[in-house]
Amino acid sequence: MIKWPIAAALALLLGGCAGSSLLLLPDEAGGHGAVAVLESNGKPVDAVVSQADSRTRLGTTNPTSRPAGQLKPDEIALLSAMPAPPRNYVLYFIEGTTDLTAESRPVLEEIKAEIARRPGVDVEVTGHSDTVGKADDNDALSLRRAEQIVGVLSTVGIDRSLMTAVGRGERELRVPTMDNVENPLNRRVEVLVR
Amino acid sequence: MLGRISTVLGLASLLASPAWAEIARVKSSVGAAAIERGTARLPARPGLQLNPGDRLVTGKDGRISLSFIDNTRFSVGPNSRIAVNEFSYDRTRQSGTFVTQVDRGSLGVVSGHIAKSGKDAMKVRTPNSLLGVRGTRFIVEVPK
Repeated sequence: MIKWPIAAALALLLGGCAGSSLLLLPDEAGGHGAVAVLESNGKPVDAVVSQADSRTRLGTTNPTSRPAGQLKPDEIALLSAMPAPPRNYVLYFIEGTTDLTAESRPVLEEIKAEIARRPGVDVEVTGHSDTVGKADDNDALSLRRAEQIVGVLSTVGIDRSLMTAVGRGERELRVPTMDNVENPLNRRVEVLVR
Repeated sequence: MLGRISTVLGLASLLASPAWAEIARVKSSVGAAAIERGTARLPARPGLQLNPGDRLVTGKDGRISLSFIDNTRFSVGPNSRIAVNEFSYDRTRQSGTFVTQVDRGSLGVVSGHIAKSGKDAMKVRTPNSLLGVRGTRFIVEVPK
């Protein structure tokens, strides 16, 4: 008779000690990724948790997942405190200048408003090139362009200490083209407000 | 000799300085929430910049949320102790490595470019396991 509560308390205690757990959730976009368990208690493990909305107790040699069920209040609080996803804006410039096109001028105002909304904000200014010329040259060219635009943005009211310039070269074409193709849509600067 | 050593050291720290560039910024915090850097303890105010090796520490009413330069986002729950042991990121190639250690507490993660840049380029360590993040949103919990 007395043994049962003791066993239950022991199980609870052991359960508490058993430690780490993983809750895999759907991505914000609706899909979901996976988390691999590479080691348990220092020993290599070869397991992949790929079921969205699942809970997995860690630290076992054969981690098994079960449906997550309802999220706990702690978990909901954790997710709602997550920073908002960054927002991306594209700016176009009049060929050979640092003057924004007429269409891009209102975007600048949107960027400023978004910066003002975000506590602890930082801003990544990324230059992109088209595929004309060598890839290395385009890395340098797109970085110079980004640095130039950081300068421009700082003169129109965006705090320079928030901004970082990045050159992505021809890695992220807005319009896919063959090599050595001139394209004004690919020659652009993107501003990520984070 | 001594002069030469200090010059070498000076050079080394100059060369090393890019490695200490900003890796993340605190976006919000509530309650008891600090960033431990070596022996220093900095209040986790919005805008505070993180370095590799920093530890995120919260008390029983504390929370910290932050965004990394590869777009990874963290939400740290109460009673947590979490270290960013390793973070290197090439902004041009959007690739790198990222190792976080959750000693206790809870961590919500939305992974960013690093997790996509290579298999298990982003790892999370708990006292009893090592996880490889393959691009996703998840919570790791380590009860005390």
